[in-house]
Amino acid sequence: MSHVITINADVSHGTINRNIYGHFSEHLGRCIYEGIWVGEDSNIPNTEGIRNDVLEALKKLKIPVLRWPGGCFADEYHWKDGIGPRENRKRMINTHWGGVVENNHFGTHEFMRLCELLECEPYISGNVGSGTVQEMSEWVEYMTFDGVSPMAEWRKENGREKPWKLKYFGVGNENWGCGGNMRPEYYADLYRQYQTYVRNYGENKVYKIACGPNVDDYRWMETVMREAHPFMDAISLHYYTIPGEFWTGKGPATGFTEQEWFTTLKKALHMDELITRHSAIMDQYDPNKRIGLIVDEWGTWYDVEPGTNPGFLYQQNTIRDALVAGLTLNIFHEHNDRVVMANIAQIVNVLQSVILTEGEKMLLTPTYHVFNMYKVHQDAERLDAHISGSEYEMDGEKIPQVSVSASKDAEGKIHVSLCNVSHDSQADVSVALRGLGGPIFKIKAEQLAADSLDAHNTFEAPDALTPSTFSAYEVEEGVLHAKLAPMSVTVFEITAG
Amino acid sequence: MVDNRCKGCRDDYVVDSKQIERVLASPMFRSDRCVSDSEYLTRLDACMSCPKLQGGTTCLVCGCIVQITAKLKEKRCPYPGEDRWSIEAVS
Ligand code: SF4
Repeated sequence: MSHVITINADVSHGTINRNIYGHFSEHLGRCIYEGIWVGEDSNIPNTEGIRNDVLEALKKLKIPVLRWPGGCFADEYHWKDGIGPRENRKRMINTHWGGVVENNHFGTHEFMRLCELLECEPYISGNVGSGTVQEMSEWVEYMTFDGVSPMAEWRKENGREKPWKLKYFGVGNENWGCGGNMRPEYYADLYRQYQTYVRNYGENKVYKIACGPNVDDYRWMETVMREAHPFMDAISLHYYTIPGEFWTGKGPATGFTEQEWFTTLKKALHMDELITRHSAIMDQYDPNKRIGLIVDEWGTWYDVEPGTNPGFLYQQNTIRDALVAGLTLNIFHEHNDRVVMANIAQIVNVLQSVILTEGEKMLLTPTYHVFNMYKVHQDAERLDAHISGSEYEMDGEKIPQVSVSASKDAEGKIHVSLCNVSHDSQADVSVALRGLGGPIFKIKAEQLAADSLDAHNTFEAPDALTPSTFSAYEVEEGVLHAKLAPMSVTVFEITAG
Repeated sequence: MVDNRCKGCRDDYVVDSKQIERVLASPMFRSDRCVSDSEYLTRLDACMSCPKLQGGTTCLVCGCIVQITAKLKEKRCPYPGEDRWSIEAVS
């Protein structure tokens, strides 16, 4: 099936914010404990308690920003429980997810250290649901105040002399649900109140993020924007791709049918409509797009792996997830005028993770490989790209077979990312590259492809699915002709001039 | 209609013995895939004294319900650096 793509390399649509490649870490299941934090006395090699294998793999991804401590956990988290000597820290039960004992060994200092090691920006979710204004205000003071104050003194006593730099701060999480079951009018008022006391100390300027809607709750977006837009820098959106139904069975992560494959990808594409419609509501109050939309929870959500604690949300990750990641990142690029950050859920061992661990073993998932292949788009100029071609059809329903996004980096290299979502058809694509400013000089390409619907990596075979050099293409008179394998994500690097 | 019900605090996230029994009754627990009863008990004994066991059911290292995974021959204890299910480790 053929597809014609035109890329205008001299027409830029602005920068693809690197923060679109952000991640989310929640105290849930084995995301923080076992996945990231093993403690200094673990026999798993670690740096100040953070496991080295995970650290190294995450460093390669050039993670720009990491959200923490939740999720639903954020609105029952009391930060003062997680500072000071670890042996004295409070133990509590995480009632939201699996009834796990939380020993608070991974707290503010440990999270900030993780961000330093990853060289990424921290994004902290504050507690509105069960915390107080004072508690939130003091947390920001503890982290960022560079003068004499009780909070700054306390931080110093706990071993951190200089304040941290903290830009991204969320005022609550899912306050329409686990964060307090609030109505939007009520949350909007609380947001206005709480954010007042999220202060800027010294040079530190906090970028304030309001809790936005769940999926297609347009009333929430309308109300919070109407009532509180002058007080925010950004508002969040949460949307998970679930092939089945949330309450009655989401569907398995492996061993699924062709129909489930199709439905999953169709539902992933729904992100485009959600951003478009929420953005249109934002436009009424913010026509100049000062306020960013942050998709700070997204990804696939399936039934947990059989035999695992259902509250841990542990699922496998296949080539289907790789395509969801590729499609979604392409959608975020297309909305780069509004979407300024996104955080896939959740970084290790929970939902659509880039890494899975089991004891000392670790594997990189197909989603990891897509993030690694796509990282070249971070902070690049999005180029004008158009596609026309055949559709992928199943049982009378249709979606586009190929998705494309293109960008130009600071060195002038062009990257084109292509997803062929068909489970059984190759895609013949012709990419006309206009406005290059010279002939094509060099092309490199990498592809992640599989020959079964649920191809994935296991602890026994961690490299079953990895990207490889792609060579099924040729260039003729400035047009790149390529044969994309079924179920594949491909990234081209093109140097011209 | 927007569904903003709380995702995390429903009963389906609580593991009880009925659920474990239901899973163990499924066809994947055919006798040829399972360890002997005595080995099963040895494995469970090791879990019961393990610092990584949470709430009497969940192994924090792999997230598994040990009453389920300890049944299966192909499963191994994931304790870092030591298989606590092996007879030597337990004794
Ligand atoms: S680490 Fe091994 S012994 Fe400990 S709970 Fe897990 S399976 Fe059982």
